[in-house]
Amino acid sequence: MNTWLLLLPLLLPFAGVPLTLALRKRRKIQSALALGLMLAALASTFGLLRAVLTTGQPVSVQMGSWQVPFGITLTADPLGVFMVLMSQIVLSAGLIYSLGSTEKVVQYPTYYPLFLALAAGLTGAFLTGDLFNLFVFAEIIVISGAVLTAIADDTYGVEAAYKYFYISTLASVFFLLGIGSLYVAHGTLNLADLAARIASNPSAPLTMTGMAFLTATFLIKSAAFPFHFWQPDFHAAAPTAVSAMLSSLVVKVGVYAFFRMTALLFPEVTLLKTLLVGVGVAGVIYGGFGAAGTHNVKRMLAYSTLAQIGFILVGIGWGTPLSLAAALVFTFNHALVKAAMLMLAGAMASRAAVKSASFEVVVGVGKYYPFAGVLFLLGGMALAGIPPLNGFISKLMIFWSGVEAAQYVPLLIIGVASIVTLTYVTRAFIRIWFEPNPKAKEKAGDRLLAPALLVLLSLLLGVWAEPLVSLSQWAAAWLGDPAFYIAAILR
Amino acid sequence: MNLLTSLAIGILFAAGIYQILRRNVIRAAVGLVLLSNAVNLFLFSAGAYNGQSAAYSTAAAQISDPLPQALVLTAIVISMGGFAFVLSLLYVISTRYKTSDSDEVKGLKN
Repeated sequence: MNTWLLLLPLLLPFAGVPLTLALRKRRKIQSALALGLMLAALASTFGLLRAVLTTGQPVSVQMGSWQVPFGITLTADPLGVFMVLMSQIVLSAGLIYSLGSTEKVVQYPTYYPLFLALAAGLTGAFLTGDLFNLFVFAEIIVISGAVLTAIADDTYGVEAAYKYFYISTLASVFFLLGIGSLYVAHGTLNLADLAARIASNPSAPLTMTGMAFLTATFLIKSAAFPFHFWQPDFHAAAPTAVSAMLSSLVVKVGVYAFFRMTALLFPEVTLLKTLLVGVGVAGVIYGGFGAAGTHNVKRMLAYSTLAQIGFILVGIGWGTPLSLAAALVFTFNHALVKAAMLMLAGAMASRAAVKSASFEVVVGVGKYYPFAGVLFLLGGMALAGIPPLNGFISKLMIFWSGVEAAQYVPLLIIGVASIVTLTYVTRAFIRIWFEPNPKAKEKAGDRLLAPALLVLLSLLLGVWAEPLVSLSQWAAAWLGDPAFYIAAILR
Repeated sequence: MNLLTSLAIGILFAAGIYQILRRNVIRAAVGLVLLSNAVNLFLFSAGAYNGQSAAYSTAAAQISDPLPQALVLTAIVISMGGFAFVLSLLYVISTRYKTSDSDEVKGLKN
């Protein structure tokens, strides 16, 4: 039973890829099937979470029944199931948005198969217990994300996809170099086995080289500060539903890998943690000011992702149980809010005179859509960390953990830089909803159901944050003791 | 043999990185292929010299580690798919921007 609960969240979207491709002539059935599969996967993820919570043990499956550590392990440990839950909620919202989207791209026969491939890649990356398998799922994400951007209505989609694909192919090269180095050094790629072997022989040649390569890889994947130059272009040019997924979930694969690296594989390496804090602080500053300086709502939100990833990396870098829990809460809340905000920006852009998210075009469009304005304001408040929204809880936890860890200098910097969030969100809100624009007309556009659901969830998790906070504290407690994870997998 | 392999990997990496930094998009695509081949060779060399016979053989001789070969096989397939995608992107870019110079492809800057 638990085996199936573990496999279904991954198998359902995967099975959906060929199925929806076969139904490409019948658009209605195709899109309904895609959404149905995604919701079923979400339901089974809840079942999986329940199984992990009640047994208190990770659920793991050996593909092909090979003995551990041979073969491929799929594992739902607290961290993995937390990330899968986050991604499947947001992916379901993304599919709901796609169903009500007026963009041409959702009419393409390959749109839903690619979207499901993205979903399968994300789920797999969070559930796999094998380093090389993580590489394969990361490649699935890269290829499906790049193709979805290349076919966007935006004429620059191809250019953005080209840029992204080169950068992430380079990241894949680094990833393979890291995998090769660790394999030479320790002779295994199973994460639990690898962690045990690194712990028993930390100075084996090439271990640090492998760590350096993996760090470079995941800094690119998470679009952290010096590796982010492709990110605003890519996230702004993608179709709205896809850019919401890219900016909220795809960058989280890198973040997830850093959780694994600092807590499981290299818990003794303080250099890595210091580096993450430094990169995170730089990202918070750069992303904040970058967002304040853009002329496009979607770009602004993409830069804001850079800043928010910075907060998460700082939390991971501090490495205390509280800061890890804070980083997890931040990861979850940011995914909900950023997806909702990008969808709202895209929905407003679809109602503008020319379809564009540039401030010049989209200014004043909000006049006829007060409901979207309320959602945008709530989302913006969550992004800036104002109570009673979930963003407040995440920032509160980060600052609290910083005080507890006595990290006052980075705390001061990210505290000041997070005020910038408020300025750019308010500016975007005022320009879209309050500035007069004679060219703005009432016009049919993308439906607002998906962002409304996400904002509602954000509000709920701000008022009633306890389940999410205790869930992430439990996951952080698991992260704090890698011996648990290793013992549970290797048995 | 060790020296030859490491030299080959190094030269492939150097050539790949040099090409990928060129402005011509087609040369950059060639650089991508060279780089992925370099890294495949590197992965392969991780388990290349341990055995006397193939992994499927039932002879008593020591067998080579089959895992790096499986990894390389997967990586080759993935990089082939990626390269096909890059070529199709290049086709669209060359028709849309009428250039092969990556500095001229700058629509996103404005």
